[in-house]
Amino acid sequence: MSRRSLSQCVIKLHEEHHALEDYQGGVPRWCSGCGDNAILAAMQRLCSDEGLAPENTVFVSGIGCSSRLPHYMKTYGFHGLHGRAFPVAEGIKMARPDLHVFVSTGDGDCCSIGAAHWIHAIRYNMNITVVLHDNHVYGLTKKQASPTSPRGLKSNTTPYGAMLEPMNPLTVTLGVQGASFVAQGVDWVPEVLYDIMLAAFRHRGFSFVRILQRCPEFMPKAFDPWLRDPQRTQLLTHADGLQLSTGLSSAYRNQRVHDPRDLDRAREIASVDDPIPVGILYRNPDAPCYEDLRHAGQLRSPAVIRAGLNRELDKYTVWPEGAAA
Amino acid sequence: MDPHAKHTDLLVFHLTGKRRGGALQPIDGRDLRPALLAPLRDLDALRHDFPLVLVDRRRGADCVHTLSGLVDGVLRDVAPRGIDGERLRRHGLQLEREIRAAVAAGAEGSLTDLWDAAAARLGEREGETLEQVLRHAGGALRADGAVLGCTPATPARLVRHTWQTVQREKARQFHADVGMLVQQLSDILRAAFSHSQAGRRPQSLQAALGGPHQDLFDFDALSRVVGKSSPDDELPASRRERLVRTLGVLESQRFFAPPEQQATLWTGGTRSETFGFEFDNCAAAALAFRERLPEAAELVRALAVAELESRGGYIEAEHDLFFEAFDENSLGADDLARLPDYLVCIPPERSDAPENASLIEMLSSGLPVKVLVQTADLRDEAALGSGHFAFGVRSARLATTAMGLGGVFVLQSPAANLYAVRAQIDCGLASRGPALFSVYAGATRRGDPWPPYLSTAAALPSRAFPAFSYDALGGSNWAERFSLLNCPQPEADWPLETLEFVDAAQQRVRAPCAFTFADFALCDPRNSAHFALAPREQWDDAMLPAADWLALSEQDAARRVPYVWAVDASDALHRVVVDAGLMQSARRCLLLWHRLQEHAGIHDSHAERLLAREKAAWAAAAPPAAAPEPAPQPAAAEAAAEAPAHSRDEAWIETARCPSCDECQHINPRMFAYDERKQAYIKDITAGTYRQLVEAAESCQVAIIHPGKPRDPDEPGLEDLLARAESFR
Amino acid sequence: MLTRSNTPAQPAIELAEHIVEVISDSGEGAQRCGQSLAAIAARMGNGIWTTEIIPAEIQPPARSVAGASGIRIRIGSQQVSNGGDQTDLVVAFNEQVLIGRVQARELKPGATILLENMWRSHLDPAIVQTYTRTVEALRGDGFQVIELPLEDRCRELVDDPRKGKNMFVLGLLCRLYGLDAGLAHEQIARVFRKKDEAVIRSNLALFDAGSAFAEAELDLRWRIPAQRATEPQVVLNGNTAIALGVMASGMDICAMYPITPATSASHYLSEVFEKVGGLVHQAEDEIAACAFAVGASYAGKCAVTITSGPGLSLKQEVLGLAVMAEIPLVVVDVQRGGPSTGQPTKVEQGDLLAALYGGHGDAPKVVLAPCSIEDCFYSVITARKIAETFGMVVVVLSDASLATAQQPFPRPQFSEDWLAPPVDQTPVPPGAKPYDWDPVTGLSRRFQPGQPGGMHTVTGLAHDRASKVAYDPAINEEGLRARSLKLASLQKTLRPAPVFGDDDGAGGDMLLVGWGSTMGAIQESVTRLRGEGLSVSSLHLRFLNPLPPGIRETMARFRHVMTIEGCWSDRLEDEMIDADNRRYSALAMMLRSRFLVDVDCWSQSRGQPIKPADICAAVRRALQTTESHA
Repeated sequence: MSRRSLSQCVIKLHEEHHALEDYQGGVPRWCSGCGDNAILAAMQRLCSDEGLAPENTVFVSGIGCSSRLPHYMKTYGFHGLHGRAFPVAEGIKMARPDLHVFVSTGDGDCCSIGAAHWIHAIRYNMNITVVLHDNHVYGLTKKQASPTSPRGLKSNTTPYGAMLEPMNPLTVTLGVQGASFVAQGVDWVPEVLYDIMLAAFRHRGFSFVRILQRCPEFMPKAFDPWLRDPQRTQLLTHADGLQLSTGLSSAYRNQRVHDPRDLDRAREIASVDDPIPVGILYRNPDAPCYEDLRHAGQLRSPAVIRAGLNRELDKYTVWPEGAAA
Repeated sequence: MDPHAKHTDLLVFHLTGKRRGGALQPIDGRDLRPALLAPLRDLDALRHDFPLVLVDRRRGADCVHTLSGLVDGVLRDVAPRGIDGERLRRHGLQLEREIRAAVAAGAEGSLTDLWDAAAARLGEREGETLEQVLRHAGGALRADGAVLGCTPATPARLVRHTWQTVQREKARQFHADVGMLVQQLSDILRAAFSHSQAGRRPQSLQAALGGPHQDLFDFDALSRVVGKSSPDDELPASRRERLVRTLGVLESQRFFAPPEQQATLWTGGTRSETFGFEFDNCAAAALAFRERLPEAAELVRALAVAELESRGGYIEAEHDLFFEAFDENSLGADDLARLPDYLVCIPPERSDAPENASLIEMLSSGLPVKVLVQTADLRDEAALGSGHFAFGVRSARLATTAMGLGGVFVLQSPAANLYAVRAQIDCGLASRGPALFSVYAGATRRGDPWPPYLSTAAALPSRAFPAFSYDALGGSNWAERFSLLNCPQPEADWPLETLEFVDAAQQRVRAPCAFTFADFALCDPRNSAHFALAPREQWDDAMLPAADWLALSEQDAARRVPYVWAVDASDALHRVVVDAGLMQSARRCLLLWHRLQEHAGIHDSHAERLLAREKAAWAAAAPPAAAPEPAPQPAAAEAAAEAPAHSRDEAWIETARCPSCDECQHINPRMFAYDERKQAYIKDITAGTYRQLVEAAESCQVAIIHPGKPRDPDEPGLEDLLARAESFR
Repeated sequence: MLTRSNTPAQPAIELAEHIVEVISDSGEGAQRCGQSLAAIAARMGNGIWTTEIIPAEIQPPARSVAGASGIRIRIGSQQVSNGGDQTDLVVAFNEQVLIGRVQARELKPGATILLENMWRSHLDPAIVQTYTRTVEALRGDGFQVIELPLEDRCRELVDDPRKGKNMFVLGLLCRLYGLDAGLAHEQIARVFRKKDEAVIRSNLALFDAGSAFAEAELDLRWRIPAQRATEPQVVLNGNTAIALGVMASGMDICAMYPITPATSASHYLSEVFEKVGGLVHQAEDEIAACAFAVGASYAGKCAVTITSGPGLSLKQEVLGLAVMAEIPLVVVDVQRGGPSTGQPTKVEQGDLLAALYGGHGDAPKVVLAPCSIEDCFYSVITARKIAETFGMVVVVLSDASLATAQQPFPRPQFSEDWLAPPVDQTPVPPGAKPYDWDPVTGLSRRFQPGQPGGMHTVTGLAHDRASKVAYDPAINEEGLRARSLKLASLQKTLRPAPVFGDDDGAGGDMLLVGWGSTMGAIQESVTRLRGEGLSVSSLHLRFLNPLPPGIRETMARFRHVMTIEGCWSDRLEDEMIDADNRRYSALAMMLRSRFLVDVDCWSQSRGQPIKPADICAAVRRALQTTESHA
């Protein structure tokens, strides 16, 4: 009696599983020990665990070390212009809401040259998963100060030390109306990194994950104090947020319960840089997505277009004698 | 005077139904009714479920309303608080009564029409202004639709209306799905055309431009140029053929009429005649279903193919065979559920034995058919005579039989109760697979003093026709599937009401009085032969109220005479004795009722037996000791403490903290490896030297590699290595 | 003077064409009046061309020279292809707005001026003074100034005559030109269809009053013969045509950032696009708009971004990316005066070279320029088709004159073949590469996300056929070659542009070459000059990149070639300028460099549409000088 319907059966017939390898593209050309490797690993694991069809997944990036990531994914990728990853990703998502769109960007790409797009991308709140690889320095162009560089960093453009206070991408994002998901991860706690990215992907909206990431080449030892002392990494836990494996919570005892719905507390936590807060700072599942508001991706039949066009032309038509107006 | 003689008069009548001597009087023409129903003389004056209003609404919103409900709604909206509001409310109720009376008198039409008509009549009586006020109030009606009194026609109209609402929603859903699929499939074809050879022909390229621009190009040259790139990129013939065929099926289906609103944009040339799904007998419905089965299978197959194709999920190697094998026998309930359900309303005169045979067959076959069986009159089987086929049984048994078939949704209810069970009706019509609605619709014969509402309403408390629903798919056990629907005092054999009357001494008396099957039978004048009126002087201790009589065992009952309380037109109280034939069917009715009670978990025999046994066991056992406090949950930290500690001599990695930096891999890929999370662990300690362990520990960015103590005491430079290893052990 | 003294109405003077202007402070409805007049004339079967007179500021002060807002309508008995020369009749709501027109030499000497005379009796003596002085000056210059009590007459009908004047004037003009009052009433009803009955009635009353006034008081009557069209015509401006073109091309997404004079196209599109399932995205800036369109194009159907000069400059880097990644894209550039902010509301053809060579590196793009309102509509459809067929960026160069001008043309008959093909989700043939450049044509088929087996990463970096970053110089050249070849392949599919005038193909003394909005004016000049016995022809280019074939041969048939363009070029009469350092206008530069022909140029950047008369003068001058040299 309660036999499964035909379509269910055949869909069953056609369930394919994707292994990690299905997402591994070219061999990474990042320096060994670069935090990007951890992010890539987590990203590939995410795709396979969520069973994302490679052909329906697009990784968009700008320019910089971070932005090479799409080349190492065996999905569709768009390695575009410095600072312009967001508008490109928005265009893709608007045209094709059915695609899974990821953005891989860096502290220079996102917070400097692309800052305007970044702010507005938060406002649009399109269903895109963003990973900000934040290593506090320009790597690809060989060590210049970035907006997030710590004060006093000696770089090729700041030989006497960076003068300005570093920008805090978390507080900036949390300051924009429409922010719907903000989290922070660190490349040296990959398990949590993965959990955060998974939550980010599953959030419907603009999911912004800042990942503190080591650059062994130009910022060696920058994070060593945190690496060596687990106490200086504070894990944010919550029933609606991260839950830690026993192994992990034994390694990282510094934990704090934080409800991702609490925006004020999130802003407070975001402004702390030591210990480094790791986890989901803010999540608002109810924030509307721009592509939904615009009813993007709806089907258009030629008949509809013909009707619409003629409706408009009628307004401007001068009919000859006797013709129906 | 001989007491026995009197006694036997009663007994004789009870046993034979013959009135000996003049002691007992016939009840015909006395307009007797069960004493408990005395207050219900003027039904129109009472606000009750009827008349109903059938509203055209999408599913989800109620499509059936009561007149009273709508009137209350209007009054809530328009009548202000306070005095004048009060007056308006009074007028509103006056109007309601007017409409109810009109409907009872056979008026038909939409609510607004009846409303205005009634307002006009009241206006004549009470003046223009009132009419205006009421007309104005009518404007505030929240819904309009056909008004329906409680008549033998009611069940069919109500069920049909609800069915139509359900089908409309189905059609909407179907058209939404198909519209989408048709578009997606045609898009595949259009997309393929653009880079097919056909799409690259000069004419096609020229057609893509408009006005003066058609002269801008040498389209032969353009055709050559675009033809060169990726020369042969046609849609595989088999797929094109499949898409075209599927589109054809979807666009020419005959199960749903094309959506009127989007008729202009409707892509397909829908065949003119769409199937009908309403029948008045099972055979015709079954035949139609069988005839259409191949076409249904074709449509369902097309839907499935389209769904796959639209996601690019059709893999010929996998699916071709599957779909070739697919035929009408492969159709599942969910598949059929996407298509319209068949509605069979069996009119009372048709519901005979052969019809019931094909009905049972049809129900058991699991077809998506919704059947309404109407029992006009519980007395009809009396023709079949006495014995175990006494009346009241068959029609009540039909529903219980259907429950036995499995997979059938069953609803039984007297007509008067239909509004109360509208949710179940809805559920039955919405459910996959077959559904049976068995309704007692009241008398059809003329000259019946009882309005059908009252006679059918009486069938409910008297257990003559209890209301219940059985949702075969509603759950895994009886408790979830079966429920009695507002049967009064379900745990009792008969509902016990209080009878108020003034006794011989002019004292107001309140006496408990059960409403039994016998009382119900008394409502129907055609049963009068089974009753006889016992004048007060005839009363004696041998007489028992029917309920008490039925409580006795057969033997004890044998010497007693059952009676029911009745009142006449002048509300004088009488005892009416009942003959054995009718009491027998009362017993039978009670047995059926007991079965239903058990289904509903009332007096569940198994449960009661178990309970008894347990009670005994507890009584035997000593009072139990207080349960020990549960061990407190270990906090994460403590859990970690319990985690295996590592000695400083052991070589190991804090895998949980590994950032996958590859450093150790570079040093010795055989010794160190990644787990499924791409985090490092020592795969093979023997695959490398202690030196490599130490170097790895040093180069590890998070310092989570612990080299432990060397395995090979003779490894060169050990002192130095041990010194370097110290900080990591 | 001309106001009538009970003498019987003299018969109407028959004219081949007339140019009438209605100007006022902005907000007084002069444009609506003119639009309606044009529509009525068009419905009568006259050829028309309207040109808006737009004040530079949003809220210019009343009675100011800069505040002149209005419209000029050229009415002809034949089809009209451009705004024509100078104005024959002006209706002005105050004298100040006239001054600018006179200074700009927009009024024909001796033109008739119908002037609101309320200022003569204004409370402010200063106003009275300037008014009287200006009127005297105008009369001194030989203009026929007729003062009319417009406001007084309107006040008899409506409370706020300032709002009603325009319909009064419409009635007046319709009477002067003997236009059908019935049609006019229909037109008014249509214009105010969104308002309630009362509004329509009062406007009709004003119209009739104006008509009656003209009948009784004015002694001017003209008739411009017309034959009514047999096919339905549409009357709309260039930006509306572009918006409708976007709809008709089947594109789904338009990303834009507000900029004059392009925005009105996006305004209209925003209003109508969603009704057919498309959408207009207003991005945070021009760069984002372009990148958004590129993203949408990459993932789905070709998208469009609409902008103007400054926007085009900002988009250049993204356009380079689209070229490198071979992502189809349509860019509509409604040109305005430049450089920098330049003249946002004024006419100029200054962006040709920016469109061709704006980006860094070698970034071949297709550039085409509509040359009429009708062309604005069809150009978008063509641009979409080319962009997707060749995987290229197509720039459509419209300009401010087309953007706001109205001209009737046959109502387009929509064809589903115009529509962009739906997103392709069919599996990629095994072994196919995302950049499988055809060795001859340079074309390759693009893969769209969602196509199984097509996974790759497009990149702005030099890349090979598999879209892998190319570190090898040979591969870099292969890509450059392929992208360049596509342009040549497209060129091979173009038909030669027809020559106007030189019907016998014998050639002649002078070939005028133009592009874009100037076609009407140029061809009209050619007709006039040939009427004067000069052997002048013209060649008008829709395709600027690639240039259509046959240009060399055509030029060879003429003794002199001169481009006519609406942008800057050095004037030889300037002391510092000589043949060697002269900066030629854009098209002349292109023709000279490509064909090694001594192409001369005459250009104008006065912010106004080029007038046939100016072209004629320039040609005569050029021919004389060449004669004298010869």
